Amino acid sequence: MASRDIVQYQAPLSRAFGWFSAVFLALYLVWTLLPILVMFISSFKDLLEAFKIPPVGDWAGVTLFFDFTPTFKHYENLFVNLNFSQYMANSLIAAGGSAAISVILGSMAAYSLSRIDFHGKSDLLFWIISTRMAPVVAVMVPLYWIFRELELVGTLPGLILAYTTFNLPFAIWILKGFFDDVPYAIEEAQMVDGATRFQAFLSILPLVGPGIGAVVVLCILFAWNDYLFAAIIGSGGAKTLSVATRELVQPQNIQWGPIMAAGVVTTLPMMLLGLVIRRYLVAGLTMGAVKE
Amino acid sequence: MNSIAADRAKPGAGLFRVRQILDNVEAKPVSTALTWPATLNPAASKRYYFWLVAPAVALLAFISIYPFFWMIYMGLHDVEIGSVVWNDFANFTRLPSDSRYVGGWLLLFQYSAMCLALQIGIGVFLAVALNGLRHEKILVTMLLMPMMIAPLVAGMVWYFLYNGTFGWYHWLLQSVGILGPKSILGSPDTAMLAIVIIDVWQWTPLITLITLAGLKRVPQDQLEANMVDGASPFVNFISVTLPNLYPVLLIAIMLRFMDNFRFIDSALVLTGGGPGNATKILPIYLFEVSFKFFKLGRGAAIALTLLVVTIILGMILAKVFDRLHPKRT
Repeated sequence: MASRDIVQYQAPLSRAFGWFSAVFLALYLVWTLLPILVMFISSFKDLLEAFKIPPVGDWAGVTLFFDFTPTFKHYENLFVNLNFSQYMANSLIAAGGSAAISVILGSMAAYSLSRIDFHGKSDLLFWIISTRMAPVVAVMVPLYWIFRELELVGTLPGLILAYTTFNLPFAIWILKGFFDDVPYAIEEAQMVDGATRFQAFLSILPLVGPGIGAVVVLCILFAWNDYLFAAIIGSGGAKTLSVATRELVQPQNIQWGPIMAAGVVTTLPMMLLGLVIRRYLVAGLTMGAVKE
Repeated sequence: MNSIAADRAKPGAGLFRVRQILDNVEAKPVSTALTWPATLNPAASKRYYFWLVAPAVALLAFISIYPFFWMIYMGLHDVEIGSVVWNDFANFTRLPSDSRYVGGWLLLFQYSAMCLALQIGIGVFLAVALNGLRHEKILVTMLLMPMMIAPLVAGMVWYFLYNGTFGWYHWLLQSVGILGPKSILGSPDTAMLAIVIIDVWQWTPLITLITLAGLKRVPQDQLEANMVDGASPFVNFISVTLPNLYPVLLIAIMLRFMDNFRFIDSALVLTGGGPGNATKILPIYLFEVSFKFFKLGRGAAIALTLLVVTIILGMILAKVFDRLHPKRT
């Protein structure tokens, strides 16, 4: 760090670059946050006010956006008339159920895959990760057919199973990374002292605990945010938030107020969860390839 | 790690063990002192680990391999609800002459290329601008908000913003003078840009996050040494930083590329492939064939080709991955 002084010397060109990047960053932040802001604010607007927009080129008219009297009627409408509490429960059960299955089976598998070596292990691992990478629509064609035969279409168990197709490989792959970071010597020492295998496994759990928690959250996030599986496999009996939101778009009548409110209801919990596991986000979204 | 475990599992292996045996041999017959805990017996361990993997693999096989064979079977037949008829590979042989199928591939690659170019360009620039800023943490957190939004909700919000009569984005573009009086989603050239922009909006932060993680690993001493030698920051960036970023960027590109194949939620709500076939990228076409017209046989054939390409991409990704983390597999 002694060379700090030298590094901090700024040529005029790099100064200009600094200014340019700051302006770009600010503009980008505005651009990235505005749609979210529009969603939040529009959900509290009466329909007529939500549609108010200044004439083209009238920059001062932007203030019109904030000119409204807040109303909760869209939220009321969602939960009182449109049965959204039921859809929310469906989303929660489907996402939670698949997260539970994925993390329980996944951590068992990940633990043992991290501890043994055998012929063809890398092939097995590749198969697992490729399951996760498969395009959702492509997977859904045969899955729909099979689930129809098993009468799982339109049921929550069917939807849970469908979400497990991408959550289980994800959980195995990421958790294996966490278990790889725990030295085997810890369990070995426990077992030499007479602990059973299971007790030895329990003894390392605190070390991977936060990782497991992050995987649970990410599994819930992936399933909660899904639309395609829910639209086809869950259609009918297991309507989730995404599908119900989509159904508010009817020909000739798009119910923008409730749509925005539903968007907020769908988004807010996931944003909060995302912040909780912020530290694991990069590893989770890159399948563990990049760690912060 | 495992070979050490196997070594230790043999009673008497290692110098320390041998001495212990000698000490004990006269005192008492070979007994408790020699028994190694059963938990460390290699054969039993293998069985134990096998049963831990088995349930997950069995479930995964049921929801991935079994459907895969069904996909091949369906691809070879005319599948309607209630009837399955062999059709002499017709599902596959008609693909090359299906203009929407071929067009779907072209549009998919065009769409992915546009998304990636913008995301990598903007994402890397943002990462460089953010790296080392005083408020880096909080700025990054604000930046990554769109990633948490359900793609369907993102699609709906942008649908609202793009609207020709009350959409703010439409108003903005018109006020700046870029866009004529036409509607964004109604004309073929702007509709494609519209779905690209959503993807860029939602997933550029991921590229920024990945690049930031890569930037933290660029050897600082090398940068400083170059500085002392009089290299400008720009030269430094090209000659030191960028080569160090290649591996992470490659991963980012592969992941985004595959995700463009995987997710069509927001595009499906926004344009549904229209106007005409202007944004009918292959997954959307596949969705239409299978779940709008319920031609599941043809759908399976298309799905199979899409899957094969994805798996090839995945193999390339795995290669890159192995080179980055040689120890993992």
